[in-house]
Amino acid sequence: MEQVILKYINEQLLFDNEMEEDLDSDTDLLGSGILDSLGMVQLIAFVEKEFMVKVPPEDMVIENFMNVDSVCAYLLSK
Amino acid sequence: MDLSWSKAQIEYKKKVIEFAEQNLNNSISERDHVLEFSREDWNKCAKFGIQGLASPKKYGGHEDDIDILTATLAMEGLGYGCRDNGLPFSLNAQMWTVQLPIAQFGNAFQKEKYLKPLASGEWIGSHGLTEANAGSDIFNMETTATKVDGGYLLNGSKRLITLGPICDMVLVFAKTNPKLGKWGVSGFIVESNSKGFKRSANKSKMGLRTVPIGDLEFKDCFVPEENRLGKEGAGWSITIASLEYDRCNILASQLGAMEYQLEDTIKFVKGRKQFGQSIGGFQSISNRIADMKLRLETSRLLLYKVAWLKSQGKSAMMEAALLKLHLSESFISSSLDAIRCHGGSGYLTEFEVERNLRDAVGGVIYAGTSDIQRNIISQILGL
Ligand SMILES: Cc1cc2nc3c(=O)[nH]c(=O)nc-3n(C[C@H](O)[C@H](O)[C@H](O)COP(=O)(O)OP(=O)(O)OC[C@H]3O[C@@H](n4cnc5c(N)ncnc54)[C@H](O)[C@@H]3O)c2cc1C
Repeated sequence: MEQVILKYINEQLLFDNEMEEDLDSDTDLLGSGILDSLGMVQLIAFVEKEFMVKVPPEDMVIENFMNVDSVCAYLLSK
Repeated sequence: MDLSWSKAQIEYKKKVIEFAEQNLNNSISERDHVLEFSREDWNKCAKFGIQGLASPKKYGGHEDDIDILTATLAMEGLGYGCRDNGLPFSLNAQMWTVQLPIAQFGNAFQKEKYLKPLASGEWIGSHGLTEANAGSDIFNMETTATKVDGGYLLNGSKRLITLGPICDMVLVFAKTNPKLGKWGVSGFIVESNSKGFKRSANKSKMGLRTVPIGDLEFKDCFVPEENRLGKEGAGWSITIASLEYDRCNILASQLGAMEYQLEDTIKFVKGRKQFGQSIGGFQSISNRIADMKLRLETSRLLLYKVAWLKSQGKSAMMEAALLKLHLSESFISSSLDAIRCHGGSGYLTEFEVERNLRDAVGGVIYAGTSDIQRNIISQILGL
């Protein structure tokens, strides 16, 4: 799960983004600006499709989407 | 995609058109001139049930849950029947950027306290996001909410707020934790009688002149904790969640206005004679009409697709951006074509043709400018 999400972010969302360090599963995505709003919305749409879950708006919060670790924990809790 | 409407939805749209034509088309030109909002028309809409389209039944609405398809069709009908573009615009602003977020993120207390008076027309709500240094780059906002005993102190100001000068409450966004970037923004419901909250006077603008717009100022404005919408830091998700609905419905009313505009223009060019024939017989004119029809129908398809996706609970980022860009730009182009077809009469305010062009320009700015929509589309395409 973690690798699938990291691969998607690296290949689909960060293709042009010159990051100083590699993206890790604990890298803050939205808060640090690695992803912009649209990138985050795309990521949410991706996990919904890939893992067949519905992410209601009230779940789109830092606890669940701060980094890849928290996304995985959130998905596992569903 | 299933674009067929139920009999009940079509009947309801007809009723909305009838209601608007019979009740809402009074002295619009005069009110447009003097920047006058009609609270009476607002209340008539509430009584008919328009604002209720964005509230669950328990809180003044029609259905157990908000029905986006019926609402889209109804708002299209309102735009068709009501010659004043400002009224549907302001209703949509409240319904989809104030009521919907409260319905989605609010607790039972907030829904009971705010959704009911908003749906009944007793209260007017506005949405405060834009600031002097945060427009397209909205999360660069500077308004802060500092945690204090029992609540928060809000400091900062918002600009270009639809209904701001006359609002009874505002759903305002402020930074609760600037270190967290976009996760550090929260939404608050502020009542207009709160100490430290000030609404500016109405500001004159190019179009949509029957709707007040203005600034909101917060100076050590205390907001009790119970008035925070959603969790601390939920501001980003609240904004993102209402965006596609907002684009869908504000544009639905514009689509209705475009349909009426086309019918009105066809009637005019058939009746107006020059060189011994109807001007509609000249290809220069009929080509314009054909272009207007094409813009109308392509906009309609995009609109219904977004409404359908949202009704299925699906994300519609790309489709909503295509819709916002295409429909708002189309309304400008078609409004200009309508004026050209009407000749000098189209240019005179009293003929009520030119007003659409002035109203349409706002559409390529609010809820994300056309440039921003193009950015969204190209970013999703991987550019
Ligand atoms: C009629 C009307 C009603 C409104 N109602 C509300 C309301 O109720 N609540 C609220 O909070 N706000 C409201 N707004 C504000 C509206 O959301 C903003 O005007 C809009 O987001 C643009 O911000 P700005 O005016 O600061 O322009 P800016 O963001 O400064 O943009 C100026 C120009 O730069 C372009 N630009 C900026 N960034 C980029 C980029 N990255 N790429 C390409 N071009 C770019 C823009 O497209 C535009 O052409 C309303 C505006 C209008 C016109």
